[in-house]
Amino acid sequence: MEIFNALAGVITNPMLMLWVLAAAIIGMIVGAIPGLTASAAIAMLLPLTFYMEPLSALAFLYVIGKSGRYGGSIAAILFNTPGTAASAATQIDGYPLAQKGMASKAMKVATLSSVIGDFIGEVLLIFGVGLIAAIALSLGPPELFTIYFAAFVVISSVIGKSIIRGLASAALRVLIKMIGIDPISSEERFTFGNFDMTNGISLVPLMIGVFVLGEVFSQLEARKNKIKIINKNDSENNAINRLSWIDFKPCIPHIIRSSFIGSFIGVLPGMGSSIAAFVAYGEGKRRAKNMNEWGSGALEGVAAPEAANNAVSGPSMAPLLTLGIPGSTIGAILVGVFLIHGIPIGPTLFITSRELVFNLFACGLIGIALYGLIGYFCAPFLGRFITKIPRDVLYPIIFLTSFIAAYASRGSLFDVLVMAVAGLAGWLMKKYDFNPAAFIISFVLAGGAEETLRQSLLLSDNGLFIFVTRPVALGFLFIAFFALFIRMRSLTHQTRKPRFNDV
Amino acid sequence: MNLQVSTKNLSQGFVIGVVLTTFGIAILIASFQIDKDPGGGWGARIFPMFGSITLLMAGILELRFGLRNTQTKPDYIPSNILVLFGLAIGYIFFIGKIGYLLSTGLVAPLIFLVFGVKNLIGLFVSAVLCPVAYHLIFFELLGVFPPYGKWFDLLNVIQGN
Repeated sequence: MEIFNALAGVITNPMLMLWVLAAAIIGMIVGAIPGLTASAAIAMLLPLTFYMEPLSALAFLYVIGKSGRYGGSIAAILFNTPGTAASAATQIDGYPLAQKGMASKAMKVATLSSVIGDFIGEVLLIFGVGLIAAIALSLGPPELFTIYFAAFVVISSVIGKSIIRGLASAALRVLIKMIGIDPISSEERFTFGNFDMTNGISLVPLMIGVFVLGEVFSQLEARKNKIKIINKNDSENNAINRLSWIDFKPCIPHIIRSSFIGSFIGVLPGMGSSIAAFVAYGEGKRRAKNMNEWGSGALEGVAAPEAANNAVSGPSMAPLLTLGIPGSTIGAILVGVFLIHGIPIGPTLFITSRELVFNLFACGLIGIALYGLIGYFCAPFLGRFITKIPRDVLYPIIFLTSFIAAYASRGSLFDVLVMAVAGLAGWLMKKYDFNPAAFIISFVLAGGAEETLRQSLLLSDNGLFIFVTRPVALGFLFIAFFALFIRMRSLTHQTRKPRFNDV
Repeated sequence: MNLQVSTKNLSQGFVIGVVLTTFGIAILIASFQIDKDPGGGWGARIFPMFGSITLLMAGILELRFGLRNTQTKPDYIPSNILVLFGLAIGYIFFIGKIGYLLSTGLVAPLIFLVFGVKNLIGLFVSAVLCPVAYHLIFFELLGVFPPYGKWFDLLNVIQGN
C-alpha cells in the first residue's frame, strides 16, 4: 500500500518527475555511447546532486543506473560494441539482426525485455527488502563482519579474470580507505604528516578517477579504432521491423525466466549485470526450441540477456538498503549520496527513512516506464544521434568535466590530484586485469567491516574464535570460502578445457 | 631451477608481483607504526595489517606464477597516455597558481590537440568557451567556491578585487 501512496506523491511532484525524466534520457545516451557507462555518468554527476533535495538526488542517480543498463543495448545492436559490459551478451544476436536490416525490431525487443525485467526486479525488491531488513536487524557485529568478509571475497574473486588480482584490488582499496584519522581511537594512519591526508581519501574523486578519467585514458589509447555502424536503412524494411505479437510471443518465457535469474543474481553482492546477462543467455539457449538460430540473429537471444541485465538493478539495492553492502558500483556511489545527505544506511533505514525509501522505489518504477516509452519509439534515432557526436570532442570535454566535478565535491585541489592519480590507476587496472569494481566497492565495505571486526574483538576479548562459534557467522564464512573454491575450480577447468568458438 | 631473470624475459605477472610485494611489505611495516589500543588490543592497527598481509600474499603468488609464465611481456605506457597524465598534473598545479579560468583556457586546447583536433579556430574556441562554460555552470549557477590562484587570478581582476 505504501508504494501506491509513494507513486501518487511522486507523480504529483513536477520537479521530481522532471529529474526522473532527465535521468531516463541521460542514462540512455550515456549507456549507448561505447566506452561510457552508467557508473561513469553517475560518478561525474554526483557532485551536482549535493545541491539537490535528497530524494531528487537519489532518484536521479538511481534512474540513470537503470536506463544506462538499457542504453548499452543500443550500442550493442547498432555498433557491434557493447555500451556496457552487460550488453555484450545482447550483441551476440543483436548485431546479426541489425545486419539483416532488423535493428529497429531488435531494439524494440530489447526495450520491452528490459522494461519487463526491470519491473519484475523492482517489484521483488519492494516486497522482499523489508523482510531482509527485519532479519538484518537481529544480526550482531560478528555476523555482520562475516557478511562483509563474504562480500569482499565474492566481489574480489568473481568479477574479473584473476582471483589474485581481484583480491589485491580489494586489499589496496581497503588500505587506501585506512588513510586518515581512525574514527574509533582518533589515531592517525598512513598520513605521513600531510594535513590533506588526515581528512582521508574521499570516495567521489576516486570514483571519478577510476571510472571517468580512466575511461578517457582508454579511449585515447583506442582512438584509432573506429566504430562501424550498420547503415541499412530501416525505413526500407518497415515491414520486417514491425514487431508483431507472433514475433514477441516466443520471447516471453525467456523474459520471465531471465528476469528471475537476474533478480536472484542481483541480490548477491558483486555479481553484476554482465554475469546475469550471460547466465540468462546460456540458460535461454539451452532451453530454446530454435537453438541453432541463437548467435545468428534470434530475437529470443536479445530478449533473454536484456531482461536479466535490467532485472539486476532493483534487487542489487537490497543488500545496500538492508546491510549497507553495495551490490554494484552504482550501489557504491549511491551510498555516498545517502551519507552526504545525512541518511544512515543499513537495517535502521526502514525505520528512520521509510517514506524516502518507498518514494525512491516509486521513482524507479516511473523511470522504468519513461525509459521504456522513450526507448521503444526513439532508440533508433538516439543511436544515429550518438554516431554524430565526435569522440575527439566528447572525451576532452569529459576530461575537463571530471576535474571540476572532483573539485566540486569538497572544494579541494587535493581531491583533484587524487582523481588524476586514480584515473591513471584505473586505466592500468583495466589493462592488467585488476578489478576496478572490486576496488571501489571495497572502499564502501571497508569502513563497516573494520567497525564490526573491532566490535567483535571487543566482545570476545580479542579472540578470533567468535566467528566460528556463532552459527550464522560460520555460515557466511563457509559461503565465502565455498565461492572462492568454486571460482578457483572453474578457472582451472577453463584453462584445461580446449577452446571452442561456440558462445 | 633457473632463477636468473633478465629484463628481456620478465613476465607481466613477475613485474606486477614485485610491485604488489613491495607495496605489501612497505604497508605492513607502516601498519606496525600505528599504536595498539591502551588495553593491549590490536585497535586501529588490525585492519591495515590484514590488508597489507593480503596484498603481500597476492604479490608473492603473482611472483610465483610470473616466474613460471614468461609468455606475457609487460607493456609500456603509451606516450599519449603519459602526455595526458602530465597535462592533468600540470593542470592541477596551474589551477592552484593562476586560478581556474586561465589554467582551463591554457589546458583545454592542449587536451583537444591530444585527442586529434587540429582545427585552429576550434582550439581557440575551446580556450575561451570551456573556462567560461564551466565557470558559469559550477561557480555561478551551482555556487561552488572557485579555486583561486596564489600567483594571479583572472577572477580577481574581473570581479575587481
